[in-house]
Amino acid sequence: MELEKYQKIFIQESSKYLEELDTVLIKVEKNLQDQQLWGDIHGKIHSVKGMARALSLTDLATFCHAMESWCKLFQEGAKTADAWVIQLFFDGTDLLKAFVAGKGNISEPKHLERLRLISKDLVKDPEELSDHPEPELRQSVAPGKIDRLRVDYTLIESLLARSQEIMQLEKTLPPLTQDQISAGLENWINHYISMLKGLYFQLAQLRLMPVQDFGELFGKTIRDLAKSYNRDVKLEIVGGEIEVDIGLMDRLREPFMHLLRNAIAHGIEPPDEREKAGKTREGKIVLEADRHGDQLILTVSDDGRGLDREAISAYLKEKMGMRHEDMDALSNEKLLAIICRPDFSSARETTQLAGRGIGMDVIARAIEYLGGTMKIHSEPSIGTRFVINLPLSLSIIYAVLFRVGKFTFAIPTSHVEAIENINLDSSEKVEQLCDLKGLLKMDGENTGKGHIIRMRRPLKPVVSAEEQKGLGIAADAIIGNMPLMAIPLGELLAKTGLFAGVGIMENGDISLILDLEKIEAAAMNTN
Amino acid sequence: MDIFIFEAANQCIGIEAKYIYRIADNVIIVPVPLMPACYEGLIYYRGDLFDVIDMGRLMENEATMLRDDPYIILLKWDAGKLGLIPDRIVGMQWVENESGTGTVFNKKGDTIKLMTPDEIWGKLSGLAYGA
Repeated sequence: MELEKYQKIFIQESSKYLEELDTVLIKVEKNLQDQQLWGDIHGKIHSVKGMARALSLTDLATFCHAMESWCKLFQEGAKTADAWVIQLFFDGTDLLKAFVAGKGNISEPKHLERLRLISKDLVKDPEELSDHPEPELRQSVAPGKIDRLRVDYTLIESLLARSQEIMQLEKTLPPLTQDQISAGLENWINHYISMLKGLYFQLAQLRLMPVQDFGELFGKTIRDLAKSYNRDVKLEIVGGEIEVDIGLMDRLREPFMHLLRNAIAHGIEPPDEREKAGKTREGKIVLEADRHGDQLILTVSDDGRGLDREAISAYLKEKMGMRHEDMDALSNEKLLAIICRPDFSSARETTQLAGRGIGMDVIARAIEYLGGTMKIHSEPSIGTRFVINLPLSLSIIYAVLFRVGKFTFAIPTSHVEAIENINLDSSEKVEQLCDLKGLLKMDGENTGKGHIIRMRRPLKPVVSAEEQKGLGIAADAIIGNMPLMAIPLGELLAKTGLFAGVGIMENGDISLILDLEKIEAAAMNTN
Repeated sequence: MDIFIFEAANQCIGIEAKYIYRIADNVIIVPVPLMPACYEGLIYYRGDLFDVIDMGRLMENEATMLRDDPYIILLKWDAGKLGLIPDRIVGMQWVENESGTGTVFNKKGDTIKLMTPDEIWGKLSGLAYGA
């Protein structure tokens, strides 16, 4: 099942690159010596190769590699392409498309023959191709099925706003008596409204973008940075299929850019140095996305030299008068706090110290603004890993919605073990029950009737057998398990300290997403 | 500058018109526990969440008249978003005041207290939240 999923992503992404490759080839055909265009061609073929390697599609990866070696010659100006070369690249691209359509394999005789001929040419010097007869004219064919389009994000926002406004009309519908409305019309209106709500929710999902697309936005940047620092660097994306709100991704653009720059400028060593250290000449930056319940976890790691502790020590000694023995005992958390200080960056800039630090305060502030946290793990000669934990963002989660008094709350479904009916008049004792009404200072007492939403596991470390059972939250009524668009808390709501976010239901209604760890901590304090 | 004028807690309040995003009605305000008395709740309007504040309570900390279907003045500025429930909307007026704060007068000579969204936000931030 996993393989199928990755194959689907491979086909989607590779097809996109190959379509773009055709466009760039058309451009380079008019300007054969344009090294930047050859760089673009190289990058696209390299991306297809990377994905092919990840799926162990050896034939495809080998063929891409052969095409890349020629790209490099034209990109560096060592050779000049001509009409025969361009034709070979067009033919090669067609062959790559056949490979991709066959999930990395080709079996048709005409494709196998073309592979044999092109591979034979690619081991030669490009100039030898000129000895061939005139390149054959390619048969013109209509482009493939048009099944996607690019849409300006503001248009999506505007559509969302418009559909929400239409939904608001439901609330202005005047009350009609049975004499005024037939049962048929009432059904029709209800159906119409439910369709409209579904449409709104689907539109909301247009705001989501795969992490893969986000990472690939930086392909060119990484290449340029690597070139300017004389590094050889590749980006790997893990968990690229995870979809995240475009608004959140947009706010992560700058921090991610800083992390990449730091990794390339200060983390990853020059190729010769890496080779001497027993590493591959090519450094690696990995962007990994994962979701744990209601959290998005983005990890950015490199396999470089790790944090430059000497530079940090120099700063600590100079600015804070810290002794060497105290510096050695510094934890990763404290190191992170130090390199995220704004004056740490300026100190490094003025003294030209080599090492990580530039812009770290910018990253820390951006993550904090998004309500997230960042952790750092660094080992000398092994590399550095930044783990960014982001709270509920504008992403879709499933949650159990319930009412307590006049309030509607939500708990991510991933945290819920079971929902039980209760009747506290009975002698049964409910373990680990949280008095939400008490915590929220709500009027009225528990009626003792309703439901208990039992959490999946204890949220804090278990110290006694009694605590093995997850926390239970009493609810007056269960609304259901449904998808929510989760939005981070505003400044005022965050002050309550008990909510993790705000959930928007399909119909535009609002619920408050409980921060279970804080609820549990508060419940323990009051017990 | 143009100011948008409304009444709350028996006084006229003016806010520079450029901060007014919309005047909304027929919007359900969702209550939130543990918030100050002036905090009426949340609304989700055109893709944005707005904290909704009863201006009368904020200014005087007193309950104003009960309203079944209040108008909500939605403010949007660079630092945030806020919905304000007035006692009554008066209208727009041009005043010679570029600061957006202090006091001006209308044609009848009534006093209008000018406020900026940041000033309102500052008042809100100073209140007690949570358990």
